[in-house]
Amino acid sequence: MHEYSIAQDMIGLIERTLGARRDLLAVTVTIGPLSGVSPESLRFCFSEIARQNGFGEPELLVNSAPATIRCRSCDLEYETDDLRGGCPSCSSHDMVVLSGRQCTLDSVEIDEDGR
Amino acid sequence: MGPRILRIGLPVMEKNDRLAARNRGLFEKSGLYAVNIIGSPGTGKTSLLEAMARVLGKSLVVIEGDVQTRRDAERIEKAGCTAFQIETGGACHLDAGMVSKAAAGLGLEGRGFEVLAIENVGNLICPSSYDLGEHTKLGILSVTEGDDKVLKYPSIFSRIGILVTSKIDLLPHVGFDIGRVEAECRSLNPDVLCFRTSATTGEGVGDLCRHILSERKRVLRA
Repeated sequence: MHEYSIAQDMIGLIERTLGARRDLLAVTVTIGPLSGVSPESLRFCFSEIARQNGFGEPELLVNSAPATIRCRSCDLEYETDDLRGGCPSCSSHDMVVLSGRQCTLDSVEIDEDGR
Repeated sequence: MGPRILRIGLPVMEKNDRLAARNRGLFEKSGLYAVNIIGSPGTGKTSLLEAMARVLGKSLVVIEGDVQTRRDAERIEKAGCTAFQIETGGACHLDAGMVSKAAAGLGLEGRGFEVLAIENVGNLICPSSYDLGEHTKLGILSVTEGDDKVLKYPSIFSRIGILVTSKIDLLPHVGFDIGRVEAECRSLNPDVLCFRTSATTGEGVGDLCRHILSERKRVLRA
């Protein structure tokens, strides 16, 4: 359950941005399909840690982004969420992962009225 | 005023990644090539390190990760190498901060160490997301675990630089297709290098150590 540690890191970054403010409405993250992070587990852990740190019940919005792969046999760049399939053009598995392992904290939404 | 959106745009594990980069710099300054060893509990991670100790001698230094006990560090010390035990107290993986403290505790510089092995907590899932500052990840799977595991745990098997199939002395007693394991791993990860080892007989361990030492030369020359 490494999502617990990841949720703690998220709270650390949010506190660095917000300081002592606790008027957090929503948090947006992007999770790549090859990141090894489960969105459902992260949602569960984040809601618990946010509450423990006085943030109430902010919404966690999870964007998914496909992995981008370059085929080294035919040079095609393609998107996938599963490496097992290989290249859609030549079926080769000789590939380089260009992106898809990211887990990014994109933005936070705060309530200016509730300050 | 109402709601306002503040952009952050940072990797969630930004702190870990920063510490990992610092660790890697420290390892290189100390002449070390670092290997992050990942596998299930009981797959033979510590036994592989004991066998590597017989080949590499005191040039091998080990950071051990477990939830609890110094048992693995004691085994490495008995094999004649320096070891530092991290007890995570519950965490299912090591992170770069824990490794940074362990490295400071060991004092890596000027002691003639060449290879740093970091044995992660036994787990095929959680350790895969954490860069510790290693130069490569070594995934280890024993023949007693079954040859269907690679595609079940793609996150780790798609990221490793080295795949070790361990306990090959037991092959006559178990139905395990090494070719399947290696082919499935290459289908996720075409650059992976595959080794087959037995810590009991020592088979394959010399080849693995030679590969690690030649990678060390390549990385430190760069």
